[in-house]
Amino acid sequence: MHNVVIVGAGPAGLSAAIAAAAAGAPVLLIDSNPRLGGQYWRLPADNFGDQHDQHFDLDTGLLLINAVKDRKEIEIYIGAQIWSATHKDGINTLRVLHNGVEKIINTGNLILCTGAYDRTLPFPGWDIPGVMTPGGVQSLLKGHGVLAGKRVVVAGSGPFLLPVAAGVIKAGGEVVDLLEANKSYRWLLSPFVLLENMSKLKEAFFYIKTISEAKLRARFGQAVVAAHKGSDGSLESVDIATIGRKFKIKRIRNVKCNVAAVGWGFTADTSLAGALGCKQSVAKDGGVVVVADQDQQSSIPGIFVAGEITGIGGSELSMAEGVIAGISAAKFVGCKVEVLKAHRKRRAKKQRFANALIKSYPVKAGWISWLNGQTVVCRCEEVTVENLKFAIDELGATDSRTAKLLTRCGMGLCQGRVCGRSVVDLVAAELNIAPSDTDRFSAVNRPIISPIPLGVLAKGE
Amino acid sequence: MKNPDAIVIGAGLVGACTALSLVNAGLRVLVLDRGPVASGTTGAGEGNILVSDKEPSAELTLALRSRDAWFELNTDIGGGFELEDKGGVVVSRSEKGIADLKKLSALQAQNGIQVVELDAKGVKAIEPHISNSVEYAVLYPQDAQCQPMLAAAQIMRAVKKRGGAFIQGENVKSINVKSGKIVGLSTEKNTYACPVVINATGTWAGEIAKMAGSYLPIMPRRGFILVTAPVPKIIHHKVYDADYVANVASSDADLQSSAVVEGTESGTILIGASRERVGFKSDLDVAVLRQLARQAMSLFPILSNIALLRAYRGFRPYAPDHLPVIGEDANVQGLWHAAGHEGAGIGLAPATGELIAAQITSRKTFMDPTPFSPKRFKETSNVAI
Amino acid sequence: MSQFNIEFTFDGEKINAITGQSVAAALLAADHRSLRKTRFNNKERGVFCGIGVCFDCLVVIDGITNQRACLIEAKPGMKVQAQVGSDA
Repeated sequence: MHNVVIVGAGPAGLSAAIAAAAAGAPVLLIDSNPRLGGQYWRLPADNFGDQHDQHFDLDTGLLLINAVKDRKEIEIYIGAQIWSATHKDGINTLRVLHNGVEKIINTGNLILCTGAYDRTLPFPGWDIPGVMTPGGVQSLLKGHGVLAGKRVVVAGSGPFLLPVAAGVIKAGGEVVDLLEANKSYRWLLSPFVLLENMSKLKEAFFYIKTISEAKLRARFGQAVVAAHKGSDGSLESVDIATIGRKFKIKRIRNVKCNVAAVGWGFTADTSLAGALGCKQSVAKDGGVVVVADQDQQSSIPGIFVAGEITGIGGSELSMAEGVIAGISAAKFVGCKVEVLKAHRKRRAKKQRFANALIKSYPVKAGWISWLNGQTVVCRCEEVTVENLKFAIDELGATDSRTAKLLTRCGMGLCQGRVCGRSVVDLVAAELNIAPSDTDRFSAVNRPIISPIPLGVLAKGE
Repeated sequence: MKNPDAIVIGAGLVGACTALSLVNAGLRVLVLDRGPVASGTTGAGEGNILVSDKEPSAELTLALRSRDAWFELNTDIGGGFELEDKGGVVVSRSEKGIADLKKLSALQAQNGIQVVELDAKGVKAIEPHISNSVEYAVLYPQDAQCQPMLAAAQIMRAVKKRGGAFIQGENVKSINVKSGKIVGLSTEKNTYACPVVINATGTWAGEIAKMAGSYLPIMPRRGFILVTAPVPKIIHHKVYDADYVANVASSDADLQSSAVVEGTESGTILIGASRERVGFKSDLDVAVLRQLARQAMSLFPILSNIALLRAYRGFRPYAPDHLPVIGEDANVQGLWHAAGHEGAGIGLAPATGELIAAQITSRKTFMDPTPFSPKRFKETSNVAI
Repeated sequence: MSQFNIEFTFDGEKINAITGQSVAAALLAADHRSLRKTRFNNKERGVFCGIGVCFDCLVVIDGITNQRACLIEAKPGMKVQAQVGSDA
């Protein structure tokens, strides 16, 4: 029998599982993927051989993964997707879909480590096959050994673009352009952070080495602002703009490519935490995150949170938080443990790095000027900028929730995961107001966390 | 807008239709809502415009007129809210249910409702995916469907184009009464002088009545709707179980649910309908969702492999006798109520607007509104007149 | 790197894959970038997020629609088709 249920087996979840088990609390570790590792340590099936080439620090990942597999106190439940979760009177009910069958897990003690996914911005042509997220290109490489295309443009903002570009090069692809929207000197805003996080510097150089060996130079202050398709209907070229500090276009050049990996940092996947009722807040970058106290406990006693959902900060911060969450959870169920000062120090150091990240890679509102009336905003329901403006200007929508109900933005299969954040920004911009927290929270509200066949829903108790 | 002729509180469908009827009658109308258009029950509605679920009564007369009014309104304001005269199919599978349905439909036929009786073959012909267990059904060609949010928004757009004003985001704090007559109202931002105030706040109508020193017994009845992933068209009408009629009329506080299933223009399938008296409890109740799924699948087994994508809930406003409240307040002159339509608000909205406008402008209209008068409630509260 | 060892079809065409690869990965490796047409505007879509979040890579697998190609492992003999709107 387990005492602690952990959702998500990436850096945070793996660390939490080991910490909790080591502290004496049996663990049930749930993940919807077929393998442990999350996105960061995404691995292919065993038959794909050694994967060190595609990772900076796979050894740490393998260490954690194998430690989890070896411990008898950790029960692993993979391929399990939570479709609904509710909290009542101290008990959390997780309704899980596994191989088409529903299973109910009730627990008073939960650690949520559901991670994040690429943040995207709409732009003309972003729905053309061949335009992808950096994470998508990387997961195809890391998880399936497939290069999405031969001529790749990597663009957007954030340090994540580096490993993706390096990965493409290592797999034999050509990175035609590597574009960072922000200026490189923004790191000077947080000068000491890099020094105290030498491992991150080492990691950056690891990728830069591959990139410079391929004679590729990153360009700063540039972005993909439009994509064009060829006669076969898929991506043929992109418009690359030199942009100003506020992301407004200065001039444009066109580059031929068959894949554009465009991403703007990450969006935390807080659906599960939100469904349970954990308090959320809006981070400095406008993303919604889950509130956690010094012990990584959420606003609900017994529910702990760790990793990207508490704030985008990278794998090392996720691990540091995971350890504290695991110990706190074990303590909650009665194990005689305490979080050590060293744990808190480590987390603080990694948190400073995460704060620097946000400062150095902002997404400025000028991106809205790249769009035209025909630009698709909600991919699932094919809602355009024009449709959204009509809802605001003609139909009187004064918040993104109403705009959503009037246009179907965010009502498709992905339930606003891709467009939600952008819609809030677009609606606010059209109304000439600042996005409200209510709007931001409304965009991530998803009590039905994953689609569930009606037949399975009907069978359950 | 300075010195409006009438203020409508509530920009849901009933408020919007009332405002439209009033501007069409030449009045200067101000509409106030504490939130965006359709942010109350209208935003959680399914879009039902039904005559099929009404027994011969004042409500049926209202429903018949309202159904036609919807199509007139659609032409009047230029559409834009997915109005579809898809027709409704009511099924029953129990001996008693079928007998009751036959009786009801015969009565309805004598009262202006088109009905077409269908046997097993007949139902299959118009709904190929319906369960083989359905051997009797009645088609109501007059039942229709719209997208309620778009409808309210388009109607408010027309109201504004015709000189009406719409202020969102102001909360009514007091209804100002002098010598038993309305003199206006105050929000947290402004005070408006006006001799006519229409309370179209649906589930919250009792609060507004209280502010005016009067009384209106409107209570919430929670309902959930399941929305599926978009699928090719497999359900062609509104299809529902005859038990639906009994549930509407029931005073049971516990969960009443019966299958209501239909497709939408966007490809999703909507599944209802549940009714519970749980106050304003808004969390997701998975047990209710399961029940709705079961009932829907019983009618359409093909739904088994179709995915639930999201669910939403709303609070239907209802009065103790399950009739809407349309008319002047019992105690306060100039205060009009247009609320309490309990799950039929969308269908009945245009005719409600017509009745209110007619009474305010002292014009004759399609029916005597007395059955809906707020004066029918025995309880009154102390009013300083 | 292992060689192709399984085979499935995409709109009738034979596609090679390696055990453990997703349908999306195998299709991309075979240069199939368009996986479906959208239901309102008939626009082509392919793999976008690659991790099962965006629901763009929908294909029909053995008659069942709305299957995320990036999440489903390719199996020998699978019948994969481009999805048209919400239909097969």
